[in-house]
Amino acid sequence: MTKTKTNPYLEFLKQNLVLCGIVVLIIVTAIAEPKFLGTSNLNNVLRQLGPLPFAALGMTFVIIGGFIDLSIVGIISLVGVITIGLVDPLGQVGALLAGILLGAFLGWLNGLVLTTCGAMTQAEVLFITYGMSSIYTALALIYTGSETLRISRSEKSISIFTTLGSTNIGIIPVVLVVFVIVLILMHLFHRKTIWGRAIALMGGNKDAAYLAGFNMKRTMRLAYAINGTMSALASIALLSRVTTATATSGANYETNAILCVVVGGTTLKGGKGSVLRTMLGVVLITLLGNCMNMLNLSTYMQTVMRGAVLVIAIWLDNRKEL
Amino acid sequence: MKKRIALLLTVAMVLGLAACGSKTEEPAAAEPAQTEGEAEAETPDAEPAGDDAATPAASGDTVKVAFITQSLSNASQAFAWSQFQKFAGEYGFEVTLFDEDYDAQNGVAAIGTCIAQKYTAICMNPTDPSALIPAIQEAKEAGIIIGLYSSELPEGFATTEYRDFMCGTNDVLFGEIAAKTLMEAFPDGCNVVEVGGQSGHAAQINRHDGFFNTIDDSINVLDAQDCQEWASEDAMAIMEDFITKYGSDIQAVYCHWDVGLTGCIEAMKASSDIDIANVYTIGVDGCAIGFDQVKEGTQSLCIGQSFTQMTIDAFDCITTIMNGGTLESDVVWTEPQIITTDTLDDYPYPEW
Repeated sequence: MTKTKTNPYLEFLKQNLVLCGIVVLIIVTAIAEPKFLGTSNLNNVLRQLGPLPFAALGMTFVIIGGFIDLSIVGIISLVGVITIGLVDPLGQVGALLAGILLGAFLGWLNGLVLTTCGAMTQAEVLFITYGMSSIYTALALIYTGSETLRISRSEKSISIFTTLGSTNIGIIPVVLVVFVIVLILMHLFHRKTIWGRAIALMGGNKDAAYLAGFNMKRTMRLAYAINGTMSALASIALLSRVTTATATSGANYETNAILCVVVGGTTLKGGKGSVLRTMLGVVLITLLGNCMNMLNLSTYMQTVMRGAVLVIAIWLDNRKEL
Repeated sequence: MKKRIALLLTVAMVLGLAACGSKTEEPAAAEPAQTEGEAEAETPDAEPAGDDAATPAASGDTVKVAFITQSLSNASQAFAWSQFQKFAGEYGFEVTLFDEDYDAQNGVAAIGTCIAQKYTAICMNPTDPSALIPAIQEAKEAGIIIGLYSSELPEGFATTEYRDFMCGTNDVLFGEIAAKTLMEAFPDGCNVVEVGGQSGHAAQINRHDGFFNTIDDSINVLDAQDCQEWASEDAMAIMEDFITKYGSDIQAVYCHWDVGLTGCIEAMKASSDIDIANVYTIGVDGCAIGFDQVKEGTQSLCIGQSFTQMTIDAFDCITTIMNGGTLESDVVWTEPQIITTDTLDDYPYPEW
């Protein structure tokens, strides 16, 4: 039997495509714009990571579970406006907790609606979560009357939001520290708990997971509840950063989150993936935006680039299966 | 048990939406989202200008006026609709809302509905004015008064052959005002960065053109970048990158909208490379956030647009045409508000 000789460099490149992409991006931009490598820009990029990692982290669980969730647009918008609205009546801690609980509830509700109506394919889930997103956005519109809410108008203290939005520890933004803690917890949940494994098994082979004794409906609701919670955290990170919230502030987060997950190497078919690799996707996408701004690329070209990255990532994912 | 919970939740949600929906419904493509009749007339803050304002009401006829808007999720458009409702009774109009939801096809369908239901007039602020031209022609042929509101038909079509009037603010003028104010504030010149609105949007293009065509050589534009959406986070990210590139060389920021400027302001506040106190900041819209920022001293100039006046102008035009009169001009520009710390008290605090 003949053994095919593989090029180790090519193999390394295949296995670490995102990492290589990040390195190439850094080198090219640093040559064109030397300020890119300065401490100031490093802090800038870290701050720009902002809400997206939370959204991508939650989306990772849903995609590993073999599904998808377009409702995070609505969840981020609704949680944002409700959280600001609750600062005065409940205080900032109460508003934060209420916002996170609302996100978890909306995520769980998505899972409940999906399991109740028997949606088990990605296409069904796609449309139902899109519908749920419309409902959440409409509720946010009704709540705000289309107004932009500003957290600094609150009469009570907003120090937690200010700290999350604009305070650094050295050059590391506080929100990133919070994210790293959440990331470690979610990584441990994914790798070390039975429920984390159940989500992956559900995505890989639903029948096998069922025969192994896992409650599929409960697992699905859990994956969506996690995504809802992460969307709520993304929403809080977002409103802390920009100090405002609108009924449409979650727009585009679903595509960007999916983009980060897929670019990170989690397969859209479910079953395989890693929360840590998703973070590489987040870094690549955030860095791409920063580099394109530094290189004066027009907004149209930036959209083309993002689209191209997504298509290439899915194409490479499909090639692996061949 | 779980089925019951799901059923209860669904019923609660539907009831909640139905209850709220009586105030702000999500419209179907060609169905009006809301209709406000004469009975809901409120006392207006501003006086209608036309002498004929009460004529249609006095005659007892129902004057059906449609308002086709890009999307009620846009704060300015939601406020504009509230002004339509506010002044409808005074003019004897029955106003109906059609929300395009940023889909031009919904606008076409809405015009079709207005033709079928024999509306008297249509005021529109469409997502894509070009896409509506055939439908507008059809409506004109059906005898409906066509008014553009806060936007204009593309060049070559902006004539009375296609529409009867246009009431709105001049986005090119906004850019010109920003440029002139900047040149006055910095007679020896300055370095400015421009954070544009949603790339490709008519307001973004005109506000950019007005600014760039007016500035002289003393104004050095360090950089200009548009956003993907009218999202303050986009504006903030762009401003952060500008700060990294140019730091304290930035002496002025021109942002196409006040809420976007909030993002720019937050970016400057968070950076140690730039002192916001030394930066002249300009935003456009005149919304409550713009007023707040001027009051706080973080926004140097807010160029505002009055949707109240715009609505009155549109209703006056409709009334004049309905009564067989002739408009002095088919284009009615609403005077922009120049809001600074000195003039802040001259204007009412905006409701949007």
